[in-house]
Amino acid sequence: MEEEREVSNTRSDGNGMPDLVFQCVIHYIHDARDRDAVSRVCRRWWEIDAAARKHVTIALCYTTTPRMLLQRFPNLESLKLKAKPRAAMFNLIPEDWGGYVTAWVEEIARSFRGLKALHFRRMIVRDSDLELLAQARGPALQSLKLDKCSGFSTDGLLHIGRSCKNLRTLFLEESSIGSIDEKDGEWLHELALNNNVLETLNFYMTDLVQVRFQDLELIARNCRSLVSVKISDCELLDLVGFFRAATALQEFGGGSVNEQPERYSSLSFPPKLCCLGLTYTGQNTRPFIFPFAWLLTRLDLLFALLDTDDHCLLIQRCPNLEVLETRNVIGNRGLKVLARCCKSLRRLRIEPAAGKQGMEDERGLVSHSGLIALAQGCLELQYLAVYVTDITNASLEYFGRYSKNLCDFRLVLLEQREGVSDLPLDDGVRALLQGCNKLRRFALCLRPGGLTDVGLGYIGKYSPNVKWMLLGSLGESDAGLLEFSKGCPSLQKLEISYCYFSEQALAISVLQLRSLRYLWVQGYRASKTPDLLAMARPFWNMELIPKRQVIVADPHGAAVSVEDAAHILAYYSLAGPRTDFPDTVVPLEAAAFLNA
Amino acid sequence: MSRSAVELDFFRMEKESAGKPQQPKKLFDRRRSFRDIQSVISKMNPEILKSVIATGSVENGNLLASKPKDDDPFLSPALPLLSAPAFGNRVSGTTSLTIFYNGTISVFDVSLNKAENILKLAAENVSKTVDSDLPLTRGKSLERFLQKRKER
Repeated sequence: MEEEREVSNTRSDGNGMPDLVFQCVIHYIHDARDRDAVSRVCRRWWEIDAAARKHVTIALCYTTTPRMLLQRFPNLESLKLKAKPRAAMFNLIPEDWGGYVTAWVEEIARSFRGLKALHFRRMIVRDSDLELLAQARGPALQSLKLDKCSGFSTDGLLHIGRSCKNLRTLFLEESSIGSIDEKDGEWLHELALNNNVLETLNFYMTDLVQVRFQDLELIARNCRSLVSVKISDCELLDLVGFFRAATALQEFGGGSVNEQPERYSSLSFPPKLCCLGLTYTGQNTRPFIFPFAWLLTRLDLLFALLDTDDHCLLIQRCPNLEVLETRNVIGNRGLKVLARCCKSLRRLRIEPAAGKQGMEDERGLVSHSGLIALAQGCLELQYLAVYVTDITNASLEYFGRYSKNLCDFRLVLLEQREGVSDLPLDDGVRALLQGCNKLRRFALCLRPGGLTDVGLGYIGKYSPNVKWMLLGSLGESDAGLLEFSKGCPSLQKLEISYCYFSEQALAISVLQLRSLRYLWVQGYRASKTPDLLAMARPFWNMELIPKRQVIVADPHGAAVSVEDAAHILAYYSLAGPRTDFPDTVVPLEAAAFLNA
Repeated sequence: MSRSAVELDFFRMEKESAGKPQQPKKLFDRRRSFRDIQSVISKMNPEILKSVIATGSVENGNLLASKPKDDDPFLSPALPLLSAPAFGNRVSGTTSLTIFYNGTISVFDVSLNKAENILKLAAENVSKTVDSDLPLTRGKSLERFLQKRKER
């Protein structure tokens, strides 16, 4: 027995290092890219990594199959799956596009005995899937995230609430559980009765409104480790008891303020609260926010009712702010306050909203002067996503000069009737890319004339580490795309929106971009001949969502029918073409013949 | 009030019929012609135009004339009527699109597709002039919030 053990311990990879050493070391290698690299050293290391791999993220579920995943990583403890293209977050993808979790849940129920954490993002989840998951993995499940998912109702959640006694995280943010799918608040009641280890509860931005605040209070009393709670619309006054009970709470989001400010004098937040998301709340929240604003590290004002002045007054009281999300009502003035007061700012997201009809402060618009102040003031900035009404080359140059920690930069130029100061932005974009050498993600959406073909070439040339890009309304002609695709050596995922490149140019650029594994295009110049097929090669799936009529709400809430242009989606897959196409999606080969 | 017909050559049909070789249309060219259409349509009263377009419909390859709310269309000459003859299909597959507006009459020879596009463009432009909102580039969650905010 002793001898056998000695033999197996000294079994080595030929370099004299016993397996045992590497088996110990590998648990300290967490980064997926590092694990990928070490697993390619030799067969033995590949086997050790496969057995020891704890977490996998599959960026598109159609690139592989549940069975392949099981064979590769049988001891998985945590899995993240994504499906629908990002455009789904802007209502551009048909609801039934795909991304069904069923096959994955079935394999998990059957084989993945060690699985504790599941994260589905932009996928279709049915009540039956949740029931199976609860039955097979209920007590073992510690984290379940249904992130921007659809297809399930409170019946499915009831199974989770009943069976998942060890759930630390239940995350349902932005999942489409509509008014027809919400029967009652029983699921939360079951969760409150059966669970006392919950740490994160999130049903933010869902339409789950029949939950009872008494159940929230019960959860707060039972779960001493409750750290993060984000809910849907609920009057804050009903949560006085909840806040009193949730003594460990650090993050809260949701709720609303509908009563007179005086009534909120009894409201006090838990002592460790440092992350706050105010929804449907205006300046009447000042009395109970201002006293502890200095503690805040994260602030979400995306769905608050604050104007530019309110923003300025609040932000100047938040010197420890690291993450801010809001709408462009913050204005240049708000950005200047941010630059002056919030030196620890790491992430800033500014979404667009209506400027007319007195809904938002008209002075509250974001443009180059605010951005210049931001670049100079917030040197720790890692992530910036902003919708601007005006932009200059100079402001982009400031980012290149000051924002040395920038990893993720996204800029959209809004359509306004007034002229933009300083187009094209070729030089500014080049300066930004040259200066921000940590950039991994980059999105730029301008308008015709916003960036020339030369500018597109700069993007290709000066983004050595960028893995994801979104190009919107850039360039002048195919020449720009071809120049662009000579560079971008690290580009894995590319999204192109309304640049009107030809099919031919798109196909050539795909073949030139050596790291590309995923392409999404909308608004391209379709040709009569199937030029796009020039990018066909083994393992490359090509799909088309032909143009269709969609019903959207116009600014007045009326239903209007608009045309949604065709989408191209192409990606590497080990699983062959999809077998579950809905009517709205076709594989490209077939589509080509239809057009001819 | 001037009664002369104003003819706007949106699609450069004069140039085409003169036999000039078709230059490859770059993005800007195409946009420019749309901009011309937009500038003409933007001079019309958006509310009126919107109501007319909303009631107009396309059936059997013909544009049905949208009926104004008043009984007698001739009593309200300011209302633009979009109409196309039910007959008169040319060999090229186009019919005439006639726009009556404020005492001016414009006639265009367009295909059904182009006519639909003009209508859509006008409708889009209507919402644009009334509200500087973005058509489809705003996140779902934000749209939802803005809608709910209006309802509160």
